[in-house]
Amino acid sequence: MSSQTAKLKVDPRDGKLAMAHFYVAFIALALGGLMGLLQTLVRSGKFELPWGIDYYQILTVHGVLMGLVLTTFFIMGFQYAAVSRTAGTHSPAARRIGWIGFWVMTVGTIMAATMVLLKEASVLYTFYAPLKAHWIFYLGMTFVVVGSWLDGAAQIMTYAKWRKENPGKPSPLLSFMAVINTVLWIVATLGVASTVLFQLLPWSLGLVDTVDVLISRTLFWYFGHPLVYFWLLPAYMCWYAIVPKIIGGKIFSDSLARLSFILFLLFSIPVGFHHQLMEPGIDPAWKFLQVVLTFMVIIPSLMTAFSLFATFERFGRSKGATGLFGWFKVLPWNDARFTVPFIGMASFIPAGAGGIINASNQMNQVVHNTIWVTGHFHLTAATSVVLTFFGISYWLVPHLTGRKLTKAMNKLGIIQGWVWFIGMVFMSGAMHFQGLLGGPRRSAFSTYGDAAQAAEWIPYQIAQAVGGSILFLGIILMIIIFVNLAFFAPKGEEEFPVGEAENLEEKAPMIFENWKLWLGITAALILFAYTIPFIDMIQNAPPGSPGFKTWNSW
Amino acid sequence: MAKAELKSNKKTEIEDSSSLKGTLASVFFLGIFIVVTWVSVYFLFLDRF
Ligand code: HEM
Ligand SMILES: [Cu+2]
Repeated sequence: MSSQTAKLKVDPRDGKLAMAHFYVAFIALALGGLMGLLQTLVRSGKFELPWGIDYYQILTVHGVLMGLVLTTFFIMGFQYAAVSRTAGTHSPAARRIGWIGFWVMTVGTIMAATMVLLKEASVLYTFYAPLKAHWIFYLGMTFVVVGSWLDGAAQIMTYAKWRKENPGKPSPLLSFMAVINTVLWIVATLGVASTVLFQLLPWSLGLVDTVDVLISRTLFWYFGHPLVYFWLLPAYMCWYAIVPKIIGGKIFSDSLARLSFILFLLFSIPVGFHHQLMEPGIDPAWKFLQVVLTFMVIIPSLMTAFSLFATFERFGRSKGATGLFGWFKVLPWNDARFTVPFIGMASFIPAGAGGIINASNQMNQVVHNTIWVTGHFHLTAATSVVLTFFGISYWLVPHLTGRKLTKAMNKLGIIQGWVWFIGMVFMSGAMHFQGLLGGPRRSAFSTYGDAAQAAEWIPYQIAQAVGGSILFLGIILMIIIFVNLAFFAPKGEEEFPVGEAENLEEKAPMIFENWKLWLGITAALILFAYTIPFIDMIQNAPPGSPGFKTWNSW
Repeated sequence: MAKAELKSNKKTEIEDSSSLKGTLASVFFLGIFIVVTWVSVYFLFLDRF
């Protein structure tokens, strides 16, 4: 585990594929960010979209590009590089599969995007039935999922090769984590793949007239919650295994990190009902059971918080810091590779607290479908996760392109992180408060015919427009940095930091690599949480629904 | 001389460098933050439903 037999540099052939993913991801960021800005402006009530562009159309573009395209492409590129760095260069076969996966995902993205631009698919990124899109949109999303499976297969192949060549040894931590996340993703996407293939595609092709909305939404949320952990775990990879090296410290405990990843695999899937707490047709007892399972996820989250604090404190004390919080001051605040992900970690404190409120069964009524929820996931995904991804890009992009992160870019990176943070305090903060006052999410209206209650919301919506403008500036800065690091920064060597555990004698127990066991428990928990409610839903099925198109065509 | 040295030795009460009390304080702060936000929304809930 400690012996870094693997090459210290990602092989250029692997680097090329990772970079291909990043190009798509950052194009998505730029376009999606522009849509986000427009949304906040429309909702402030001071601006109308020109040329017959529809609010729900740009909201679909924003959600799909940010929530699905940016995240999936960045994650697959990052994990592919991390496996190559820690478990060794991918074989030509694995690399070929990775490239096929990349192209399948890209073609799928183009198919879906085209349909949204043609106003044939303003169904938002969750594409719930009975909203009905053009079949090419659904087929495109299927391609994105299948492509990501191929990308994941490449990682699993290289991990398996390492295990074969190193019998009896625990795999490199980053590779292990990448594979956990890939497995989580594959198990989760089975749900969305089933509803798309067996319900939405036949229905949008006109082969069947109606769709069972309850089943479709349940399959979606079987996927939808682990989706957010699929976004989060790569950020945790950086926090657990990369940030310690950047600051010059040690990983607090390799085994603790692995255990927490396994707990995320087990408990992030059988919990989709916590998104359906307000929905009829599901037995409250089963909803409650899934709420309990949801709360189990708090355990690995708090393990993570503890172990990060401990890493920082031990590093600080090794540098001679004293007192209760002296260690905090000696952290390398002028290193963008640390500071930007750190802002992400800190944002996860309010983000996580909000999540516990969302999941608290009856309390969900207070926030359900209000813009509080949007505020919540702009802290989790759009701050904790995205800022960590930005922090990763600051060293990974130059590492892969054979360039260096210059002092100027490092500084711009830190500025970028703070700009994002300030913008998000305004936008997400205002969303949280407006949500508590009942302001709805996903709504193009702002004044609601001058209703008194809606008037209360306007100041918050203006604060969101201010925050959105600051955030958009943050996106421009990020794009400048990315383009610089990819094409213009001076040639040189940038390190791919990989942390070492503090206690090298403590070998991670091999049971962590026992996939039969963990996949077995994962499957058992899923079957336990979903089988009876599913039978119930099918036996007492609601009448099928025809499709609805709630938006105007061009 | 010896006396003075003894004195200064006593004063350099070394802080155990393996101490994790800052971590303990931080996780307590985290826990309290979670409880306080949760309870405030809980009261909002009681008030409304
Ligand atoms: C310039 C930065 C951003 C701005 C100004 C922004 C603004 C917004 C606004 C105002 C909404 C809600 C609109 C509504 O419910 O009517 C929204 C929704 C959303 N945003 Fe962002 N956002 C930004 C960045 C991001 C990022 C980086 C991500 C993801 C990583 C993201 C993911 C989403 C998602 C998934 C939705 C939900 C769409 C839906 O409800 O269908 N956003 N954004
Ligand atoms: Cu969830």
